Amino acid sequence: MDQNNSLPPYAQGLASPQGAMTPGIPIFSPMMPYGTGLTPQPIQNTNSLSILEEQQRQATQGTSGQAPQLFHSQTLTTAPLPGTTPLYPSPMTPMTPITPATPASESSGIVPQLQNIVSTVNLGCKLDLKTIALRARNAEYNPKRFAAVIMRIREPRTTALIFSSGKMVCTGAKSEEQSRLAARKYARVVQKLGFPAKFLDFKIQNMVGSCDVKFPIRLEGLVLTHQQFSSYEPELFPGLIYRMIKPRIVLLIFVSGKVVLTGAKVRAEIYEAFENIYPILKGFRKTT
Amino acid sequence: MASTSRLDALPRVTCPNHPDAILVEDYRAGDMICPECGLVVGDRVIDVGSEWRTFSNDKATKDPSRVGDSQNPLLSDGDLSTMIGKGTGAASFDEFGNSKYQNRRTMSSSDRAMMNAFKEITTMADRINLPRNIDRTNNLFKQVYEQKSLKGRANDAIASACLYIACRQEGVPRTFKEICAVSRISKKEIGRCFKLILKALETSVDLITTGDFMSRFCSNLCLPKQVQMAATHIARKAVELDLVPGRSPISVAAAAIYMASQASAEKRTQKEIGDIAGVADVTIRQSYRLIYPRAPDLFPTDFKFDTPVDKLPQL
Repeated sequence: MDQNNSLPPYAQGLASPQGAMTPGIPIFSPMMPYGTGLTPQPIQNTNSLSILEEQQRQATQGTSGQAPQLFHSQTLTTAPLPGTTPLYPSPMTPMTPITPATPASESSGIVPQLQNIVSTVNLGCKLDLKTIALRARNAEYNPKRFAAVIMRIREPRTTALIFSSGKMVCTGAKSEEQSRLAARKYARVVQKLGFPAKFLDFKIQNMVGSCDVKFPIRLEGLVLTHQQFSSYEPELFPGLIYRMIKPRIVLLIFVSGKVVLTGAKVRAEIYEAFENIYPILKGFRKTT
Repeated sequence: MASTSRLDALPRVTCPNHPDAILVEDYRAGDMICPECGLVVGDRVIDVGSEWRTFSNDKATKDPSRVGDSQNPLLSDGDLSTMIGKGTGAASFDEFGNSKYQNRRTMSSSDRAMMNAFKEITTMADRINLPRNIDRTNNLFKQVYEQKSLKGRANDAIASACLYIACRQEGVPRTFKEICAVSRISKKEIGRCFKLILKALETSVDLITTGDFMSRFCSNLCLPKQVQMAATHIARKAVELDLVPGRSPISVAAAAIYMASQASAEKRTQKEIGDIAGVADVTIRQSYRLIYPRAPDLFPTDFKFDTPVDKLPQL
């Protein structure tokens, strides 16, 4: 991107996408510096950040591309880091990390991407599936196989199962807003067919996210230490199934470093679960 | 167990000289003896074993055992299997010609399903020659059955899963496919029950390794000991060097056996190995391709090559 050329080299990282990050998400941008007043200093860093991140930061003073920053920062300013590092009086401003995590851990710069959202809504009236199937486009109905009409729309690419009781399940959306919008579109289709459809009790039932930690993982080690949460049976499934208790999320962890998180009702649970598992996975990184 | 609880209610016999001594039971004489002074305290103890004089005659119809099977207190509660024999005289038949006294009242109705499952477990274990795991399997099944958390599942599925877990716990794991071969339950269902049982009993099992299956697969393929040892070494090295990340240990073991057998005089085809191991031959091919580049490093140092390493088949 040519806007990179105008910025100083160390701030180029702000414009470049980071891993799995989409620029659309306002809150969780990995390129958060500490805000204007708290520019990271090499000397001050040791009391709050790990040595590794300090080394990374020192390395990136001269090179372009930022090290992954803590992204729970409240400030949204993207002020470029100064080239020369002015020495701030270190004891006065404690460099408390802005993340709620323990000070010894650094947060990953990786944000899980949502892949699928399943939601349900009640249309509030009994439906005649045969007329819906005959008159609506992109609808299939095979009562011998399954007792619902399967309808698909293209705009948020989703599939809906519409039951004769008036309840509907909408799957395939990539974000909560898209899921709600798609459900509304299906309700509209049903309404246009002549049924008095309403939009009651829209609820997201399940959210699936995935991400990549970018290093291979020793699953055998993980299953030995976290026996009560993990289940790893290579004969049955090649991934390790980790059932986290604190946000009740199931994670599928693979040798390649890809992680799938599912079972969440809200987006924050997925993020929290990934933040919980990331330090554990780092401990089981394959060294070769 | 009903019998012991009734004994507890009765006044316990103690040696008059040593009231604290625990009496030793002598089954042969039917006595209870004080270990301190040797006094015979209680006599005429009922022997709950099977009838002493059961011979395996040809006259199998007339069962000479008059007290029934030996009591199995560990597994079924209170198996008091007194049975009414077939009537012989005229008095035992009523006017229609049926026997007056029906035989085999429900002897242990609460555990009929459990006894059925034990029979099934014995049959399955017998098919794959596992006589020693039966006790452990029966115990596991009894624990699961009493917990009732898996009550909805087919008993055969739970029995197969218990057999699988028992083999794992004894250190001689069998693959799911091997258990499938002797059971009518699908691998998927056995896998589900396996996970549920581990959760219900709050136990865990060790991870399977490639070496667990070497001796069985190699002897089924009639491979000599050097080839088996070479294959074990190859598989272990392959896992250590992380040449096969994410592959099932069974597939890696099968590929190692293929490589070792192809380097020796006793060559086996991928199909043969696949049949024995329960692995598809394309899977063996895939894993073999991963270990083939490092073949010289994987063989043990004292291996006698019939086909040298560079002439190994490349797939």
